[in-house]
Amino acid sequence: MRTTVPVIVAFLAGIAMVISFFFAPERTILGQFQENLLQWVTIVGGFTLVLGVFSIVRVNARAVSRRNDGWIYKLATVVSVFAMALPSMLPTSSSTTFGKIFYSIVPESWASAFGTNPGSIYDWLFNYLDSPMMETMFATLAFYIASAAYRAFRARSAEATLLLITACIVMLWRVPMGEAFLRLFSDNIPEYINAFVMKGFNMSVQRGIIIGAALGMASMSLRIILGIERTYMGKG
Amino acid sequence: MSFWEKVANIDRRWIYLLVAIAVFFPMIFIMQFPVELTPEAQQLYNAIDNLPNGSIVMLTFDYYPSTMAETRPMSIAALRHMFSKDMKVVTLSNIPLGGPTIAEDVTRSIAKEYGKEYGIDYVNLGYRANYTAVMHGLASSIESIFNADFTGTPLKDLPLMQKVKNYNDIRFILVVSDNATIDYWISIVNAQYGIPVGGGVTAVSAPKMYAFVEAGQLTGLLGGMKGAAEYEKLVGIKGTATRGMDSQSLVHFLIIFLVIAGNVAFFALRGREKGRVNG
Repeated sequence: MRTTVPVIVAFLAGIAMVISFFFAPERTILGQFQENLLQWVTIVGGFTLVLGVFSIVRVNARAVSRRNDGWIYKLATVVSVFAMALPSMLPTSSSTTFGKIFYSIVPESWASAFGTNPGSIYDWLFNYLDSPMMETMFATLAFYIASAAYRAFRARSAEATLLLITACIVMLWRVPMGEAFLRLFSDNIPEYINAFVMKGFNMSVQRGIIIGAALGMASMSLRIILGIERTYMGKG
Repeated sequence: MSFWEKVANIDRRWIYLLVAIAVFFPMIFIMQFPVELTPEAQQLYNAIDNLPNGSIVMLTFDYYPSTMAETRPMSIAALRHMFSKDMKVVTLSNIPLGGPTIAEDVTRSIAKEYGKEYGIDYVNLGYRANYTAVMHGLASSIESIFNADFTGTPLKDLPLMQKVKNYNDIRFILVVSDNATIDYWISIVNAQYGIPVGGGVTAVSAPKMYAFVEAGQLTGLLGGMKGAAEYEKLVGIKGTATRGMDSQSLVHFLIIFLVIAGNVAFFALRGREKGRVNG
């Protein structure tokens, strides 16, 4: 039962989506069904977010209560989840039933602090804490890449040498100072790099990868629809 | 320890210091090498510029705050271009963290400069989970997926959204993305519904997009901070991407120098090692 029902649901939903692709949504029942199914997917997607929040809180709260290693960071995670989520979910006016109840307890002059509007707690936390932290983490990559390039990017083989030379040429081409440098040798070099490296070697390889991945995705979808692939249910 | 051994085993903190100098130096001493245009950036600019004034366009903020240095200037330049042509802009995000808030902050600040009014000239739809379903769903009815905008205002209360019911009412979609959502904008929205889609992506994603540009599935491409700087040049502004080009130039030169130095040391040491074995 636990295996058969999900396989039947996956089969019916998959087949319905494939067939309804060929019918206009506004004119046919099958098209309408596809539209409804897509709405369900977004709703189910919303629930998966809730599940994610529940999971992260449960795992981290347990570690905090047991005082596991690094529990203070896990506490910070739990506090951050609620600090970001709660103020953004609170009503911004008393126009709704929940808003009426909420603002009978809390002064309505606080309304601008709630929700996701500019100037709200959520907006402030995002702009002055979350966003700078994420940008900082990403910016440190420049340092690691420079160090890694110095240590690991070696012309050990013909293929590695080819990659190394191409990478250096493209890096020069992608910045104004590099373009000016390349034009010292010939005025057409930047255009040649775009035409032969990016739209030549790069594009042909990318096409191969994209087509290969698409075929893989199609065959995997078919396996799921036909019930051959069941790993999504946690079974091999 | 020989000279080449010292070079091969240089402390990584010296490299970090060099990178920091390369980033900060152009901020003090401005160099301003001219930004040259690529055909892909020009194609994107032309696609938007050739739309009639007042057209309804969609701008997506499918990026996390971490890549804002590359992607945010693209959004800003695009909004300036669109608002200067009195276009009506519908924004949305397929990224739960950051995208909708960035869209709100960026669009409101640029709209203010051009005297545009929320709900009439632009609307921020916000985020809905599961982007493939969202992209399909918008084809039949935007309201079926987004019943309210980012701040919770019902779409029926926004005058602009009375004119925008689905993709048929949108002339062009500019996807600014730092992840795989752009693949689906191309394969679902462009390929299945025939809406022209332009792309602004991070430098690391740009090589893949050339295949779509050449196939005509992507109408123009901005790749990384350089792409953003190109768009800024086309729009006639000197934004953060143009200013960042000098730092990026120096860091690229530094990395190339480090790669060459590392390889020279590698071969010098390997030659010495071989000489020792043979001798």
